[in-house]
Amino acid sequence: MTRRSAAAALLLLAASTAAAHDFWIEPTGFRPEVGSTVGVRLVVGQRFRGEVLPRNPAMIARFDFVTDAGAVPIPGKAADDPAGSFRVDAPGLGVIAYRSLESAVSLEAPKFEEYLKEEGLESVIAARAKRGESAKPSRELFSRSAKSLIQAGGAGDAGFDRVVGLTLELVPEKSPYALGAGGDLPVRLLFMGRPLAGALVAALPYDAPENRIAARTDREGRVTLRPPKAGVWLVKAVHMVPVEDNPAADWRSIWASLTFEIPAPSPARPE
Amino acid sequence: MKRRRLAALAAILVLAASGILAAHELGTIRVVARFEKGGRYEIDAIVDRQHLPPGFGAGARIDPRLEPIGNLDPALRARIGPLIGAAIDGVRIAFDGKPARPPVSLVPPEGGAAAAADAPELTLRFSGEVPPGARSFTWSNAVSLGTYMLTIRTEGEEAAARQWVEGPAESAPFTLHAGIAPMSRSEVVRTYLGLGFTHILPKGTDHILFVLGIFLLSIHLRPILLQVTAFTVAHTITLALTIYGVVSLSPRIVEPLIALSIVYVAVENVVTPRLTPWRVALVFGFGLLHGMGFAGVLSQLGLPRTEFLPALLCFNAGVELGQLTVIAIAFLLIGLPFRNRPWYRRRIVVPGSIAIAAVGLFWFVQRILG
Repeated sequence: MTRRSAAAALLLLAASTAAAHDFWIEPTGFRPEVGSTVGVRLVVGQRFRGEVLPRNPAMIARFDFVTDAGAVPIPGKAADDPAGSFRVDAPGLGVIAYRSLESAVSLEAPKFEEYLKEEGLESVIAARAKRGESAKPSRELFSRSAKSLIQAGGAGDAGFDRVVGLTLELVPEKSPYALGAGGDLPVRLLFMGRPLAGALVAALPYDAPENRIAARTDREGRVTLRPPKAGVWLVKAVHMVPVEDNPAADWRSIWASLTFEIPAPSPARPE
Repeated sequence: MKRRRLAALAAILVLAASGILAAHELGTIRVVARFEKGGRYEIDAIVDRQHLPPGFGAGARIDPRLEPIGNLDPALRARIGPLIGAAIDGVRIAFDGKPARPPVSLVPPEGGAAAAADAPELTLRFSGEVPPGARSFTWSNAVSLGTYMLTIRTEGEEAAARQWVEGPAESAPFTLHAGIAPMSRSEVVRTYLGLGFTHILPKGTDHILFVLGIFLLSIHLRPILLQVTAFTVAHTITLALTIYGVVSLSPRIVEPLIALSIVYVAVENVVTPRLTPWRVALVFGFGLLHGMGFAGVLSQLGLPRTEFLPALLCFNAGVELGQLTVIAIAFLLIGLPFRNRPWYRRRIVVPGSIAIAAVGLFWFVQRILG
């Protein structure tokens, strides 16, 4: 990719329109005290700003808090906001994992192709052209695979690379809580447990989501992001595959997200 | 090339500025209802146009019962009228199961009403008044677009009530908070009669003592009737005048004077057993003061906007019933057994009145200092 086309691609990435919506987890705290209760907000929106999604039991395939002790379902009542909450019992890293069931959506062709471009799914545009379907409205099934990495009790970095088994899963290969601003953060993207190559992975800081950084995964499904500053980050990727098991849909999309906090360096303390 | 890149950049800036957050997962037409104290409501149906099925609304018309839709000018109607029709024709808003037909308007998006033609979201607002006495609210929309979120906010409540509504089915009934629906006429009568009554019995010890002072003057019907009538007419006048804002006197003046009125009637009871002509006039004057006191209490309790006069009259009647009850109880406990005893005045009227005067004096000092 030439430098100019890379710049153009980045500009296109910034042009997020309303047709596509990210989905992510916003815990009430990324670094909770041990013994405290963490509320888990599910959020739908764009550019890291959105609307809370109250708990919808009919759509939850999985909603767990995963630590060394295993996966524990996160409880809550229908229509609750936050969608669930749980008590943190032990220090260390834990993963909040959410997977939705599939929803159907249909978009007019221009809107659909616009969103495919935004999410780096040009291969789908090409496939539609090849099938002569470029002008057809989309018939899509989509599902969410969201993760949030939290650190309880201000200590412990083991388990940052835990694979919890989401359909499309972003796995950090370093602990963001030990990263510091400006450090390299390698992230792997797994689809059904296997590395996914050539997918666009984007990262957005919460306090300046317009400063998005993005790259495509290599053969090992890896991108190396360099978040330039501390704070809360969203990393996201979308994968789309043809539907073979449902005559009412043509494409199946899976929306992966990962949220975490890169702690600001604390002022040096006297020994 | 340069020009093209500039154009692309401009397009991007425009898109970024639009910043609309639609949310398919909350429902293609999600609903936010807001209820205010006193009964006003606004219910927004927010249409996520990006996720409407292709061709949605083609050929649809807006149901005449929803017309006219505010802010929908002919140019806009040509563009989005069918969509609006298909989106909200099937809306049914009901209170206690009875359908309401509030007017509908298109909420202009940022950038003015004309921008609605291409806005990714359209907000259609139903606004109205909760019918008096209503206890529950239900919403349904016959259009089949799957599950959606119904969020209900009530003024004064921090947490919103939320529920998922399944497609065309009706929402679960939402119980309106107390104070949202205006009271029905019968509720007003009951409530304000009760408020007036309890303001005397048991809450109004000062009024009770004043009425006992009136009662103790003479056990005969005529003096009691004359005094009670004078008092009632007077407090009715000032209660109404104060509530309507015609007269106003600070409670810091009214309250000590009410205490003083108690002292006066009690002291006069000791001095004379007879109904002097000025006694009725003075009781009338004191009635004017007590009426202002009642008004102070009533304005704190608040009067329903739609049933103002009935509430006022019922409160006054409740006060009256309270006073008559005080006299009836006094008559049964003191008058009936002892009125014909030679010592009735010596052992009951005089010491009773002195005690009342003492309490009245104490209140007077307390209220002056307070």
